[in-house]
Amino acid sequence: MKGEVVGCNRRIAGWVSAAVLSAALLFCVTATSLLHTVLAGTQDRVPSYVEWTPETKAAASAGDAFRGSLLAKRCEHCHGEEGFSQVASTPNLAGMDKLSLWKQLQDFRSGKRSSPVMKPIAQSLAAEDVADLAAYYSRVPVFSDLQDNRAFPEARPTPGQESMASHLVQFGDGERGIPPCDACHGPIAYRPGAPSLISQNADYVVDQLEAFATGKRANDINEPMRTIAGLLTEEERHALAEYYGAGLGMQETANTNSK
Amino acid sequence: MSWRKLRTFLLTALVLCLIPAMRYYQIDQPLLRRFRNSREIDPLALHLSGEFVENNLGTEQNSDGSVTVRMIAEQYLFIPHCVLVPAGVPVHLRITSADNVHSLTIGGTSYSIEAIPGAITKAQLEFPQAADYRTVCREFCGAGHYAMRSEVKVVPREQFPVLRGDERGSCGLQ
Repeated sequence: MKGEVVGCNRRIAGWVSAAVLSAALLFCVTATSLLHTVLAGTQDRVPSYVEWTPETKAAASAGDAFRGSLLAKRCEHCHGEEGFSQVASTPNLAGMDKLSLWKQLQDFRSGKRSSPVMKPIAQSLAAEDVADLAAYYSRVPVFSDLQDNRAFPEARPTPGQESMASHLVQFGDGERGIPPCDACHGPIAYRPGAPSLISQNADYVVDQLEAFATGKRANDINEPMRTIAGLLTEEERHALAEYYGAGLGMQETANTNSK
Repeated sequence: MSWRKLRTFLLTALVLCLIPAMRYYQIDQPLLRRFRNSREIDPLALHLSGEFVENNLGTEQNSDGSVTVRMIAEQYLFIPHCVLVPAGVPVHLRITSADNVHSLTIGGTSYSIEAIPGAITKAQLEFPQAADYRTVCREFCGAGHYAMRSEVKVVPREQFPVLRGDERGSCGLQ
């Protein structure tokens, strides 16, 4: 009888000591990680959680455009019918590159691109909805022909702005280390996640360039746009916005294609 | 040789062959896979973690007086676009690429450092005098290659400021 009690006590003592030990271990692990965070001072600044692996690209471009066209009814109120926005500061989504649209919605969802309007909307979308919307908007034809500019029929940059912007778009500025826009935003080449700018609203483009330059928008992976926007002068930012707003990026596509 | 001996020999040989085979499948398979994908760093995930995250780029001061410079080369920029270093101290450069092979060539010096996706190129540089150096990419990397240029600003050692946080990635011009 006595032996049994002692055995029971021993067993309890064993459990208690095990619990105490594991609690101590857990405490040590937590304390070390906390200490590490404190000692490191700052956390890693991550611009976006998107990583352009082949799997990500496949998932982002595997959307169903028809389903996307139904979902897009929710976007019409601000982004306009078929993605042609009537408000100059809201981006056109028509003809937007799939990967770019997908990435922006992911960044709105994670808060890496801040927008009080877009965050709850992006968070309400399921993963497949995002891909479907991207598939739909990327298929909306932007211009049926060059004369029919559905985005902004009356917009036109001044001749000075046009020559300045067209030089930057096609050649950049080697002296200052500014690469040409069309090497990433098309039509020469596309970088994954870079939006096609052929029919973007001028006001929206200038807003975003300013946000990049001041660091207010910081979701570009490896900082290309923050660097370039910071190197551009204010005059150049406006000229580029007017150039893209008038659909002149598209004209360049047409010239390139006809050659 | 009797049948019995042969059987024992064969069985032993079989068992001896099986042991490494089992070890190979159980243990070495993941190791092999890791070896096949062995890269120092994942070029697509530089921004997520590791030493090339945004706030770790640029010039870092070491306790022995030397500096470490971390850079990313990507189409068609060197990040940071301007690097500030002190004159006359060893500069440990660590550079990698996010996409293609690039080459950081510092004009007016003999330094030309390859930036390779998946690898970290380490180089020790030293700039004897204060000067502004223009850098170019010397490896054709795509449509914007010719505009891929940046700057290295070398200041006298005593003028080199204590860099903190956001200043590391710029020349203090912003």
